[in-house]
Amino acid sequence: MTQEIVNSVLQFIDHGDTSDEAFNEQALRLFRYQYKHNLPFQMFCRQKGKTPRMVKTWKDIPAVPINGFKELTLSSSDPETAEDVFMTSGTTKGIRGKHYHPTLTVYDRSMYVNFKERFMNGKDRMKMGILYPTEEEMPNSSLSHYLALAFKEFGSKDSQYFVSNDGLLVEPLLKELEHAEKSGEPLALLGASFSFVHLFEAMQTRGISFQLPKGSRILDTGGFKNKSKELDLETFYSKLYELLGVDPANCINMYGMTELSTQFYDSGNDIVPSVKSGPHWIRTRVINPLTGEEVVKGERGVLVHCDLANFNSVTTILTEDVGKEKAEGFLLLGRVQGAEAKGCSIAVDEFLQAAKGSSR
Amino acid sequence: MKEKAGYLPNIGEELAYKTVTFAGKQENLEVELPLLTQEQTNLVLENVRKASSDVLKSMTISEIVQVIDAVIEQLLDRTNYYRQKAERLLPIITGYDEEVIRTGLTTFLKIFRKHHLQRFLVEDFGNPLILDDFQPRTKRGFSKAVGPDVTVQIWSGNVPALPLWSLISSLMVKSGSIGKVPSAEPLFAGWFAQMLVDVEPKLADCLAVVWWKGGDEERERHLFKQADVVLAYGGNESLESIKSRVPITTRFLPFGHKISFGIVSSMSLDSRKAIKTVHQAANDVIRYDQQGCYSPHVFYVQKGGNVSPREFAQLLAHELEAFEKRYPRRSLSMEEGASLAEWRQKEELSMLTNHNKEVLGETNGAWTVVFSGNEGELAPTSLNRTIKVMEINDLEDVVPFIEPYRSYLQTVGIAAAPSELFAIANVLANAGVTRITALGSMNSPEAGWHHDGRFNLSDLVHMVDIEHSAEDYAESFASYTD
Repeated sequence: MTQEIVNSVLQFIDHGDTSDEAFNEQALRLFRYQYKHNLPFQMFCRQKGKTPRMVKTWKDIPAVPINGFKELTLSSSDPETAEDVFMTSGTTKGIRGKHYHPTLTVYDRSMYVNFKERFMNGKDRMKMGILYPTEEEMPNSSLSHYLALAFKEFGSKDSQYFVSNDGLLVEPLLKELEHAEKSGEPLALLGASFSFVHLFEAMQTRGISFQLPKGSRILDTGGFKNKSKELDLETFYSKLYELLGVDPANCINMYGMTELSTQFYDSGNDIVPSVKSGPHWIRTRVINPLTGEEVVKGERGVLVHCDLANFNSVTTILTEDVGKEKAEGFLLLGRVQGAEAKGCSIAVDEFLQAAKGSSR
Repeated sequence: MKEKAGYLPNIGEELAYKTVTFAGKQENLEVELPLLTQEQTNLVLENVRKASSDVLKSMTISEIVQVIDAVIEQLLDRTNYYRQKAERLLPIITGYDEEVIRTGLTTFLKIFRKHHLQRFLVEDFGNPLILDDFQPRTKRGFSKAVGPDVTVQIWSGNVPALPLWSLISSLMVKSGSIGKVPSAEPLFAGWFAQMLVDVEPKLADCLAVVWWKGGDEERERHLFKQADVVLAYGGNESLESIKSRVPITTRFLPFGHKISFGIVSSMSLDSRKAIKTVHQAANDVIRYDQQGCYSPHVFYVQKGGNVSPREFAQLLAHELEAFEKRYPRRSLSMEEGASLAEWRQKEELSMLTNHNKEVLGETNGAWTVVFSGNEGELAPTSLNRTIKVMEINDLEDVVPFIEPYRSYLQTVGIAAAPSELFAIANVLANAGVTRITALGSMNSPEAGWHHDGRFNLSDLVHMVDIEHSAEDYAESFASYTD
């Protein structure tokens, strides 16, 4: 049964039918499968009154809040036998969200096809520098797996990692940058946004900058997560230009989530915020969080993604990200900020801080 | 529409303003907030300090009470110019329903009438004349309560007219005031100041109501250095940062965010009384959509009554729906909506593992009641009419749930028989609760209450004693001495 579903997803990715009908049909097939085999999800759907009989289009599939990955075991097959499980970095009361992958074939295919199209710029391989720990150092991280795939499938032989568990390997990285500048061979730097900020700091204290060869590209992802100084997008990309000589048009930001099996990309950041979009097997809606209805096109709302590569958990997730629909995709406007308390009653966040501080 | 916020003594200078726009249901309101330069701030400080010692300190406490009473009387009159302005503009600024504002203002303002103010004074000083002159003490000797020259007050939040607490308190101890309005409700304090001056023109230089961007370090440091007391409302983080700028010689009175809850005894849940009890509970939830520090997040309901805790939750849901018709909830921003939805979804998800749980109300509705069985833990809800009901066997059972949050506890609204009331009051007092009130009155503390367990007036003053020895000794130098 699992194999059958896996095959249908692989076929959907490869076949490239971008019609509404095809998307809908595949989404409903996955919904029926998940409703049947993923029991916590079935309970969730019943609670919402959304049984397969009620769900007529992909838009009717109830969106599971990403917190659901912390509270529930969302898997259509035995989680014990999963090939891999990716975990979120954020926790609630020490619990991390878990995304089970019975096989990584689908995740890997989704990543491969999409990455080739959106980042590789027509090339088969490039020399890569990865600014993130390896899979061995960071098991259960979807990002480390993603970057390992990029490294393995698209990196030339002399590609390297420049981050260990101790942090950014500054000296080897600077040496590599210098080498790239001299050799004229384009370099692709890929990693967490905060790793780039660490690199900026290292370069600025040394008072150096590089002009990477034409064709060099940068992929950053994930934001700063309190792991580095927060830079606004404009500063971030102008620093990349200033210090590494890579034009913002060749700097790609990837938007991905542990809870998804497909990533979104922009086509450069010469205009920020950039428009993000995904391949034909993922679709995004922008909703009013209170009503769950789609907002008027162009208004701000919370993003809901329906990812057909999520064959095992749930296709449709409700994020905590704010966005705006655009003709070619959507604008990502950051995370939903915890609404500030209007009055003098304590807000949830402050209270949780207090709870952490108390001796419980 | 345009409205100028704030109030300033005449410093003979042109002021700069920052405009903030509030979108109302029908029309927008532009509010101009006075933004002072460093020099202007100095001028204001000088004026207030001088007027405080020349004017306020020479007025008697009963004169001051008369002035405040006269202003409150005007504000309670619905044909009054400022009252009408408040009823018209505050709904636009805060988003609260007009009826909620109207009834809320009246309930709030009436506790500042003369006889209530007198109660305030007696509560804190016994003999209010101690503010005017040295008064004899039972221990012998004499004492006088001397108010600060300048109290700087930093207000926060959107609950209308809230700055009146500290503004009136400082007036009653004859202190000049410089208040900073919150951008969420910048108007009422300025109107009140203007009304005071209209009633008693001598007060013109005794107060200033201004605005600056919170956290403006240089400005705050400068101002605090010259204040005798700094009084601030806000979250602990912003209070911490304010505190770091208050010199050690200046008294700092912080009022942090608090959490409150209700306790419902089974005695109040017989078939006849239960409906009334639930109505009172719902009333506490809808007032200013739980934005007050005294608003409930949780009702602990005792088992064993005719109405079970689960039924209580259901009745409460019904009552909130009824209230929504008459006093609709304010409309929420996208952020507020998202955080409410997130809170609600978390509760819904936990229903899948806790089958005892019930989440009542539509996702797109204006209220949510969660019945969560014996979960117990006191945790803030998302406010805006989201409330949890939990069951307890004995009233004392709440203690372990609230104890960890001692420094955050404030009000308990209670429905219980007299013997229960006093028994549980002791327990709650030990756990850190500072106010126990009737269910239904959580949002309207009475005159002379101890805000967060402190003294509204006597915390502001310092006492000056003439010890008995001085008096005795003086006798020996009297001209009439033998």
